[in-house]
Amino acid sequence: MENDNFIIQMKGISKVYPNGIAANRNVDFFVKEGEIHALMGENGAGKSTLMKILFGLEQPTEGEIIINGEEVSLTSPSDAISRGIGMVHQHFMLIPSLTVAENIVLGMAPIKKGILIDYKKAVQITEEVSQKYNLNVNPNAKVMDIPVGMKQKVEILKALVRGANILILDEPTAVLTTQETSELFKELIILKQLGYTIIFISHKLNEIKQITDRLTIMRGGKSMGVYETASTSEQEISRLMVGRDVILNVEKDKSQPTETVLKVRNLEYTNKWNKKMLDFLSFSVRQGEILGIAGVEGNGQRELVEMLFNLNTPDSGTITVNGVNIINLPQDKIRDNRVSLIPEDRMTYGIADAASIEENVISDRYTEKHFNNGPLFDMKMIHKESDKLIKNYAILCKSRKQQVKMLSGGNIQKVVVARELSSDPILIIADQPTRGIDVGSTEFIRNKLVHLSRAGAAVLLVSADLNEVMELSDSLIVLYGGKVVAYFDDTSALDDTVMGEYMLGLKHQSPEEIERVCHE
Amino acid sequence: MSNRRMLVFNILRGAAAIFLALGVGFIFIVLSSDEPLNALRYLLIGPVFRIRDGVLSFNTTSFQTILAAMIPTIFTGLAVCVMFSASQFNLAGEGAVMLGGFVGALCAIYLNIPGWIHPVVCVLIGAAVSGLIMLIPALLKVKLGASELVTSLMLNYIIMFIVLHFLNYYFADRSKGATQTFSFQPTAQIPALIEGSSKLSWGFIVALIFVVIVALFMYRTKWGYAIRMIGINQPFSKYSGMKVGATIILSQVIGGILSGMGGSIEVLGRYNTYLWRELPGYGWTGITIAILAKNNPIFIPFAALFIAYLDKGCQLMSTYSDVPSEMIDIIQAAIFLFFAAEQFLAKYRQKIVVKNSRLEMENNNLSQEGRNA
Ligand SMILES: Nc1ncnc2c1ncn2[C@@H]1O[C@H](COP(=O)(O)OP(=O)(O)OP(=O)(O)O)[C@@H](O)[C@H]1O
Ligand SMILES: [Mg+2]
Repeated sequence: MENDNFIIQMKGISKVYPNGIAANRNVDFFVKEGEIHALMGENGAGKSTLMKILFGLEQPTEGEIIINGEEVSLTSPSDAISRGIGMVHQHFMLIPSLTVAENIVLGMAPIKKGILIDYKKAVQITEEVSQKYNLNVNPNAKVMDIPVGMKQKVEILKALVRGANILILDEPTAVLTTQETSELFKELIILKQLGYTIIFISHKLNEIKQITDRLTIMRGGKSMGVYETASTSEQEISRLMVGRDVILNVEKDKSQPTETVLKVRNLEYTNKWNKKMLDFLSFSVRQGEILGIAGVEGNGQRELVEMLFNLNTPDSGTITVNGVNIINLPQDKIRDNRVSLIPEDRMTYGIADAASIEENVISDRYTEKHFNNGPLFDMKMIHKESDKLIKNYAILCKSRKQQVKMLSGGNIQKVVVARELSSDPILIIADQPTRGIDVGSTEFIRNKLVHLSRAGAAVLLVSADLNEVMELSDSLIVLYGGKVVAYFDDTSALDDTVMGEYMLGLKHQSPEEIERVCHE
Repeated sequence: MSNRRMLVFNILRGAAAIFLALGVGFIFIVLSSDEPLNALRYLLIGPVFRIRDGVLSFNTTSFQTILAAMIPTIFTGLAVCVMFSASQFNLAGEGAVMLGGFVGALCAIYLNIPGWIHPVVCVLIGAAVSGLIMLIPALLKVKLGASELVTSLMLNYIIMFIVLHFLNYYFADRSKGATQTFSFQPTAQIPALIEGSSKLSWGFIVALIFVVIVALFMYRTKWGYAIRMIGINQPFSKYSGMKVGATIILSQVIGGILSGMGGSIEVLGRYNTYLWRELPGYGWTGITIAILAKNNPIFIPFAALFIAYLDKGCQLMSTYSDVPSEMIDIIQAAIFLFFAAEQFLAKYRQKIVVKNSRLEMENNNLSQEGRNA
């Protein structure tokens, strides 16, 4: 194994977390200079942990790390940064109340006249790097107001600005649309040609095949070996990861939609930068169907979802669920109307990170009669409920008492999905439901959505993953500029190119064709 | 097995923190005292032992005094637990104690009710008024977004001067030399738990009962659950369907009720007339105690005992030795610091955990081998 070619050598790495979970067990991980190296494995396999060790965020319990032929001990991220390592985390590490430019220069801020941060300089730096690497961001927007896709770019820029030549990208594409992903891939190829080394984590096999040179597979905290990407088939990879063959094609019979559940009419919303995000948006979702929303991020999807759950208020228009107006309705009342939401931003809305799994899965139902015994909780029933959900949704954890923040990213998502899909909903708003979830569990969740819709729920699916929308939806609409520009009542005959043209606003259907989505 | 080891570790960790802190304290004592061992003796064992002619004997009265000192601080500690759990940094516990004490005292003077019921009514009214006053910072926060930290801090002084105003102009007993109210009716006094000079009243038992009630409330009821979830992640709670504003208000009002209860129980159990002319300080101590107890109601009595013991020791040390009183504040602060430091001894903790999970892994392997065989 002594090869000067290896820029990173992690040998015999073991990691035991303070709660006793052994996340890495004697893992060897070698990366060649200038390659794109994939790190793969199921949720909770220990990928993020290994990368946090490489970035100095976690200390290994055992093992050594050699970078550029030199044995190092990385006790903090600044150690790692000074050795040219940059990391884009699975969950954003940005400060929401600061602007994009401030976030990018954070900790290395250009100082003017002693103490004041030179904001103009920060904006200038941001514009320069964003042009240089062709990652477009708005330097003056506050991070809390920008969509996740842009947050991802800000994270990458942050690492590049700090002079990283080894980039760790922990599931960077989970939040990107297909177009953004291919854009990112172009950039990564350029970076690779410039001599950058990239470690790339993703659950999407096609992406791995497309862009990486070699791959390391992890399972249950152990390494399952290193493979040349070109000579390993997708099937082999998933077998190594999961231990069985995974069929990602969802099996679904033809939908037989009945009653209209969700009715959105003439929804209008202008955001605080005076940009019209929703422009007389109208559509309906019926019982028994999955309606997909396709579109490039930032075309109103986020605003629409917020309004469907009263997390934001439209300027005008109506939203009804089974005839009940839900605009301005408190969330408990919305949930009483059997609406559930898998939110896009799981760390903000989906969970309380310092609370246990149990406390997280009951957050929408803790007031129900059978969980309460007079003034006290009926702990037996609550334990039963959470154990059931942990089992049914295969949440990898030590016990129901484990804090959610100590779960792996994919398992956090499963906690959210478990709660939202188990509340007997009549309308499910699924915003990126399989984000960050491994192939096996993705299969499971997609089947669950199909099953629920066939059993009579209306499902509104928003996903940045075009494949997911096209495969999973029975019918779909394309959003562009806050408007429906196309409606397809049958998704089986669609192809990417046509979709692309609608999504980029190059084409749109006639008003009559679009109106069909209102089913009136 | 592993849990027991962690428990032992946590206890050892507490003990080690105290020893380290005392070590630091001792350095300061040596620096400032000519008879450091004597001073240390008063600090450490003075509160519960009497030394006379070289013979060590348990000082029951002094021990009871320490328990008595815990009564108001257990209540304020619990109050802070509830308020801080909702992530509301409300500091008005201090004013609520004073108000509860004053209102309780007025009821003790002017209401005519038979014994046993009388103090209960006084305490309930005192607690209710203090709970209501907490609506001010709570509503300002929920309706207008005003920082509860600022409004509650200000509220303390407003309450203090209002109480003083009423005391001076309406309720003072002019026949007494100092500004005090008239004497309580004998029916209103909270009876002593143990007769003697220690002032240990039945309030102590009530305080312990409330520890259990508040612990159950926070961890076994839907309201406590909502308070804690809102404290961890407010957007999540809103999205889940919790009534965020109402729950925040509820937590603050409960904080006020508990503080007011502590104030009136203290006044009715210790004195026979109302004589606080400034903020009594129990509210501040409550914050310290809640932090030591990591916002967990069950730990509150232990934290309160610790602080009361330390207070008493420091008091003795400043009375009977030559250590200056500023030094005593330093020592107290040092001990507090070591206790509150979360990362303290984290490394050793990690070692135990690693050892545990190794054992677990080995056991797993063994059982697997057993199955394979
Ligand atoms: N801070 C932590 N404290 C305790 N345990 C943790 C912590 N972070 C992760 N774990 C545990 O370590 C294991 C590995 O987690 P890790 O985040 O490395 O998985 P991952 O491979 O990145 O998974 P995913 O694909 O879901 O992101 C999991 O079982 C998780 O519960
Ligand atoms: Mg991860």
